[in-house]
Amino acid sequence: MAEVEETLKRIQAHRGVVATIVVNAEGIPIRTTLDNSTTVQYAGLLHQLTMKARSTVRDIDPQNDLTFLRIRSKKHEIMVAPDKEYLLIVIQNPCE
Amino acid sequence: MQGPGGGRRPPPVRQGSGASSGSQRRASILSGIYANKAASCRSPSTTSDGKAVDRASLVGNKYATRVFDDEGKDVTPRPLFRSDPNTVVPRQGKLLASSAYFGATGSGFLSSFSMHQTSGVNGSLGSFSRTYGSSSSSLSNASTTESVLDEIRKRSHLLTSYNFSDVQVRQEEIKEWTKEDLDRRVDIYLTETETIWILDMPSVVVSVESEDAGRVLERNRIYVDICKNRPGNDRFVEKMMQTINGAAKNKEVQCDKIIMEDKGMLVTSWDLYDSFNVSEIEPVSKAEGSRATTGKSSSTTSSLMISESAVLARIHEEEECHSEAILTSENFQQNLFFMERILMENIFQPKLAAYRQFPVLIVKEAEQEEHDKEKKDKEEQKNAFVDPSILSDLNKTPEEIVPPRLERLWSYICDLTNGHSVSSMAWSKVNPDLLAVGYGAFDCKEQKKGLACCWSLKNPMWPERIFRCEHGVTALDFSMASPNLLAVGMYDGSVTIYNVQSCNDAALLDSSESSNKHTGPVWQMRWVEQDRSATGDGKKERLICISADGRITEWFIQKRLDCIDLMKINRTESEKKKLPGEKERKREALISRLAPGMCFDFHPKDTNFYLAGTEEGHIHKCSCSCNEQFLETYRGHKGPVYKVAWNPFSTDMFLSCSADWSIILWHQDSQTPILTFSSSTAFVHDVMWSPKSACIFAAVNESRVEIWDLSASILNPVTSCFANPRVKFTSVLIAKNTDCLLVGDSKGEVSVFELQNLAAPNNNKVRFTRTRWWSSEACMLVWYFIPPKGASVKDLANRY
Repeated sequence: MAEVEETLKRIQAHRGVVATIVVNAEGIPIRTTLDNSTTVQYAGLLHQLTMKARSTVRDIDPQNDLTFLRIRSKKHEIMVAPDKEYLLIVIQNPCE
Repeated sequence: MQGPGGGRRPPPVRQGSGASSGSQRRASILSGIYANKAASCRSPSTTSDGKAVDRASLVGNKYATRVFDDEGKDVTPRPLFRSDPNTVVPRQGKLLASSAYFGATGSGFLSSFSMHQTSGVNGSLGSFSRTYGSSSSSLSNASTTESVLDEIRKRSHLLTSYNFSDVQVRQEEIKEWTKEDLDRRVDIYLTETETIWILDMPSVVVSVESEDAGRVLERNRIYVDICKNRPGNDRFVEKMMQTINGAAKNKEVQCDKIIMEDKGMLVTSWDLYDSFNVSEIEPVSKAEGSRATTGKSSSTTSSLMISESAVLARIHEEEECHSEAILTSENFQQNLFFMERILMENIFQPKLAAYRQFPVLIVKEAEQEEHDKEKKDKEEQKNAFVDPSILSDLNKTPEEIVPPRLERLWSYICDLTNGHSVSSMAWSKVNPDLLAVGYGAFDCKEQKKGLACCWSLKNPMWPERIFRCEHGVTALDFSMASPNLLAVGMYDGSVTIYNVQSCNDAALLDSSESSNKHTGPVWQMRWVEQDRSATGDGKKERLICISADGRITEWFIQKRLDCIDLMKINRTESEKKKLPGEKERKREALISRLAPGMCFDFHPKDTNFYLAGTEEGHIHKCSCSCNEQFLETYRGHKGPVYKVAWNPFSTDMFLSCSADWSIILWHQDSQTPILTFSSSTAFVHDVMWSPKSACIFAAVNESRVEIWDLSASILNPVTSCFANPRVKFTSVLIAKNTDCLLVGDSKGEVSVFELQNLAAPNNNKVRFTRTRWWSSEACMLVWYFIPPKGASVKDLANRY
């Protein structure tokens, strides 16, 4: 547990990381560095997108599954590690 | 349909045959009350069974037909229709056969019955009777039915007329009813009646041999003739007749709202796959019952999940437990691990790309800036991007050679390692991105706990493995045969073996129990593969260490670590020329007869031989098979020899570096140095040949790291990089798979430099001739290459 906390702290402290969010399957934040409303918004939207992405991947080959999702936008990069029980979201400003 | 409804408001059509409408009305009164199902309705009532209901007679009773239940209560249904008293009720002559066509509407309405009149038909009241009969059958009470029917039968005469007055009477009668009567609950039962046969003419079959046969045949023939003659025959006329449909009556019923639910589902191929597999896989029961799976037992990935907005109400403690479970789950840790690596990739992407020697792309803004402030931005860019102009220049002018340079990419450093000094570095034998770094104290006097870390290229900010050691780490090496073993030698002479696969700190094997362990710091250790040609076992790996107590030991890994001595380094007397006139001195009192060993290196081709460097400045060539004597001794250094290294390509040459500020290149057959490189007045801590090129080696002294290229210059390094003022470089390591250099310093930082623009690697053997001038200014050496196959000496000479 301590190791997990340490790793989370390290991730949060990295250069350019805007926010780190861990939400459970219901959209309730477990760990977050943003305010609650933004967290819930991110969680809801990304949950839907992850579901859609997973559905896409599995539609093509049902034995495949989604492991990671990265969205690069002008301002940030959103990285989502999806799982059945939780969503791990990290938002980073890419360098320079 | 215009059934009785039509009767209500006297339709113009019907006025003509007035009587019927009245009867219609009447009938409507009665049968409107009773619901008649289509079955019974369909049957046109053509009964001539004499069950003519005398409606009039019934009415003549001054009562409508009344219905009684068992207890004698009057449960006569009330009429739905209140005829308008003002309308004239025409006499009704004949009878209406009710046909009931009822509600083809199928609405099941009471009012759905229609009477239609048949012109002049002996119409039977059968319809009435029928309807009545059928309606009576719908009564709850059979006996009542019976009684009513009996009544009907008694008056079996045709319906004569229907009086308007009757209706009046009816209505008056109605008024007499009390409120309770009106409020009384009326039960209406709808049932299906029996099938009513209208015309039943069963065919008769006569045997050919019977007496009637002839007649029957004759008649058949006549019939067939008639049929044939029918079309076009005057005797047969087709005539159309219009039947009048009765008016339909709508009946509204109020009931509870029927709740309808729509359920839609998007079926995807993976959903089918999952459902198919669910029957084979045991359903995983979730303790918290988190997902409301409607109907499906275990498949939590079904598409139903998508449509549900699952927010379950839970008690707070459950939530907390669940979140703890999530955070400590294996999956989560792994995802965190990946996430960190991906973050690193984002941060370090240009540097890593340069490490991997990818051509790096230029960002557009950078280009514009470039034109503006060229110099300043060039420097910044150089760190990350390769300037396209240079590239293009190179293409255009191949003669123009850009000097090699060292580019600092990044450094492996973290909080843990701050304050320690890098004492040794080693690459993993299987994973070229994995690096082990040993941290100890730079100054021999201040010894503190040491650290051995495994760094991965993919995460330059935090080591993958951290092994804390009791004493400062002075040497380490990865094993080749079992690549997960890392041997660590420490300042107190102990040797520990760690398993890199496990995350925990515990050592796999320890030399603390060994009785023969070193008593001085282990300055170097190496896993050496040895050809055991004698035993024919094939290559076997041995762990060899050299330490300051003057012994070279080989360690065995059995139940515990133990070692045997390979060699003891005896002190060799220095061949000092005795000054004339000096008396013979007394032999110096020695603390130990052994000279501390600092470094060793096994011959790359023949692992029976190895070199050992000592603190005295001597380098001994030894053999594994003989542990009494040195094969040869090379004297040249005046200070402790920190490192010896065989040239991987020209295997007769080796380098040695020492604290006497010099690096010496030796040939194994010559007892005197071939070349001496001294470029600075600082201890040279480490030296290493490039694994790709025979002429290039890297050397690190306290203030800078130097790259020497013997094919370019033997007086000066081709490039060098200065350290930060307060920091001293302590060790160097060259990467095998890329042109990069790792330099460790006394602050615990391992910097990664990229070697740019170095001469093309060639691993031709370099042969040095013996002829040279011993001029200090111009130390020229004539040497030549052994030309590779196909090339001529001339070409090579032209090149250089």
